[in-house]
Amino acid sequence: MKSSQIIKATSYSLAIIFVGLLIWWLQTDPTSDFEVSLDGADNRGSGAEAQDVKIGEYFKQFADDYTEMSETWPRFRGADFDNISKSPVKLIDRFGAEGPKIVWSKELGEGHSGAAIYKGLVYVLDYDEEERADMLRCYSLLTGKEMWVRGYTLNVKRNHGMSRTIPAITEDYILSMGPMCHVMCLDRETGDLRWGLDVAKEYQSEVPLWYTGQCPLIDDGKAIIATGGNALLVAIDCETGEKIWETPNPEGWKMSHSSVMPFTFGGQKMYVYSAIGALVGVAADGANAGEILWQTTVWNHSVVAPSPVCMPDGKIFMTAGYGAGSMMAQLSESNGNFSIEVLSKYPPRDGLACEQQTPLYWDGHLLGIMPKDGGPNRNQLICVNPDNPQEMVWTSGTETRFGLGPYFIADGKLFILSDNGTLTIARPDVKKYIQLDQAKVIEDGHDAWAPFALANGYLVMRDSKTMVCIDLNVK
Amino acid sequence: MEKESKSKNRREFIQSGVRLSLAMALGSVSGLALSKVVKDDYVWQIDPFECTQCGRCATDCVMSPSAVKCVHAYDLCGYCDLCGGYLKPDSNALSTAAENQLCPTAAIERKFIEEPYFEYIINEDLCIGCAKCVKGCTAFGNGSLHLQIIHSICDNCNDCSIARVCPSNAIKRVPASEAYFIKGDFTKKSES
Repeated sequence: MKSSQIIKATSYSLAIIFVGLLIWWLQTDPTSDFEVSLDGADNRGSGAEAQDVKIGEYFKQFADDYTEMSETWPRFRGADFDNISKSPVKLIDRFGAEGPKIVWSKELGEGHSGAAIYKGLVYVLDYDEEERADMLRCYSLLTGKEMWVRGYTLNVKRNHGMSRTIPAITEDYILSMGPMCHVMCLDRETGDLRWGLDVAKEYQSEVPLWYTGQCPLIDDGKAIIATGGNALLVAIDCETGEKIWETPNPEGWKMSHSSVMPFTFGGQKMYVYSAIGALVGVAADGANAGEILWQTTVWNHSVVAPSPVCMPDGKIFMTAGYGAGSMMAQLSESNGNFSIEVLSKYPPRDGLACEQQTPLYWDGHLLGIMPKDGGPNRNQLICVNPDNPQEMVWTSGTETRFGLGPYFIADGKLFILSDNGTLTIARPDVKKYIQLDQAKVIEDGHDAWAPFALANGYLVMRDSKTMVCIDLNVK
Repeated sequence: MEKESKSKNRREFIQSGVRLSLAMALGSVSGLALSKVVKDDYVWQIDPFECTQCGRCATDCVMSPSAVKCVHAYDLCGYCDLCGGYLKPDSNALSTAAENQLCPTAAIERKFIEEPYFEYIINEDLCIGCAKCVKGCTAFGNGSLHLQIIHSICDNCNDCSIARVCPSNAIKRVPASEAYFIKGDFTKKSES
C-alpha cells in the first residue's frame, strides 16, 4: 500500500471517529441521572382532623375579691391601637440598685399570648398543657391572685408555643380567640359564657401556621373577626352572637397572624386588614358596612404577623418577616371612592422591616426592630420618616441589638423587651437612640415575644413560660 | 550435676531474656499504637455560633465538593411546615417543588411526620456547604442547621484555606478528641 493511501485511509478513519464522537456528545444528556424535585415528595398529610370543641364548657371560680383600679389596657396595642399609653401615671426611667420590682409571677403554658388589663383585672388566654385546654385566666393586677378561669378542652401540639393572642375587653364583654380559631365571648365581670364560634369549622378557614396570632377586636359592641375562608371579615353582635355582616371573599384570601386595625380616613370608618393574599380596607359602618372599600394584592406574603400601621395622612405601612420586607402605601379618597397606591416596596435589608411586632408611629416617625435578615441593621431598633422608610433617621447601633420582643411607649419612655427577658428603658427621640437603663426581669427568659400591657403603672409581660407583673410607678 | 544446673540456668536466662525482649517489643508497639490513638492531635472545626454563613466554605475549600457540610441538631429543630432552612424566603408554596427549595443541590429531604410536623434530613453527598440553609434557619428558625467540617473528607491541611478566608474567624484548630461542635451538646461560650 502506498503511503498516500495510508494517509487517506487514516484521515477518513479519524473523520469517521470524530463525527461519531460528535454525534455521541450531542446526543448524550449529562443530566440524565438528575431527579426532578416535584411538589408532594414530602407526602404531606391531609391536615389535622377537626375537633369537636364545646367552647366555654369549663369554669372555675377561685376568688371574688380584688382591688378595683382606674386604668385599662383593653386590647392588643392598647385603647388607641397605637401601643402608646396615654396614662398620666409617672413611671421610673431607671431600675435603681434593687433592680426591677416584680410584684407577681405566674407559670403559664408555652406560648406568646399577652395580657389585657381592665380596672384592676388581668386577662390572658393561656393553653393549659396539663389539662390540654384553652383557658382564659383572670388575675388580680395588684396581687396576681387568680380570680377565675374559663376554657375548653382542645388538643394543641407544641409548635413554637401554643397560645398567641390577646383578648379584647370592654366594660361588658371579654372576647378571646384561641390557637385553633375558637372565638369565645364572656361576660366581663362574671366570666359567664355569652357565645362561642368555631371559625375554622364555620368558615372553612385554614388555621395559620403556628396557630392563630390574630387578636380579636370589639368595636362598638361588635366582635370583628378576620376569618378567611368563606368570608374575609365578619361582625358579630357581642350581646347575642348574631352575625351582623360578612365580607365576601371570592378570592379565597386566608387568615394571617395580623390583627384588624380600625382607621377613619376621608370621613369613612374602616377596618384595615392584611390577609394572606391582599391588604384590604372594609367599611366599618354605614349602609355599606362589611363591603371592601379598597384592596391591593401587591402585598401578598405567606406569613404576616405585624398589623397595618395607619397614619393620619392616609399612609399605611405594612411589614412582615420571612423575607417579605415592607410596603408603604398611600390611601386616597375621592367622592367617597377609595384607592390605594403603593409608594414603595422593598426587601428587609433595604429599609424598616419587622418580623413579629408592629412598628410604632410616634411624633411623625416610625420605630421598629429589624429582623435577623435585615442586613447590617439586623435586630437593631431603628427610626425612619414615613416619607422614606428606606432611609434610617437613626439606629440603636451595632452594640445595641434586640430580638423579636415587644416595644411600646408610656410616660414618654420607650420600653423594649429582649428575647431573654431583659427590659430596656430608652427615651424616644427623632434624632438619636437614647438608652436610659436595662435590667433582666425574667431569669432564664426565652422567646419573650408577647406584647406588653400597662395600667396604673403596673407592666405585665411574659416570656414563653412565665408571666410577670412589675411595678414601674415612681415612688 | 553442677554443670547441668549451670547449663539450665543459662538456658533459662536466655529464655527469660527473649521473653522480656518480646514483651518489651510488644509493649513498645502497643504503647506506640495507643499513643497514636489517644494523642491529642488537632483538626479544623467551625464554631457554629461564630459562623456568619458567608458561603466561602463552599468555594474556598481545597476539596471539591467542600469538606464542610450542613449538619442538623434534631433536638433543636422546630419541625416546622414553613422551614426557613428548606424554603426560599417568601416562597410560592410550602412544598418540595424545586422552585421553592432554598438548597441549590436539593440536599435536604423534607418528610411529613404528623400534623403539623415535618422532618428535614441532610444528604451529605449532595451538600456543598454553601450555608444558604443555615442562614435561613438561623434567621427564621431555631438555628438547628449548622455547618461542620467532616473529618472523613477533610484533608486537615496545615494552612486551611477556608480558615484563612473566614470573615468571622469561626474556624479554629480543636483537639481531635473533641472534633465536632454539634449544637445542643456544644453551647455558646459565655461572653464574659
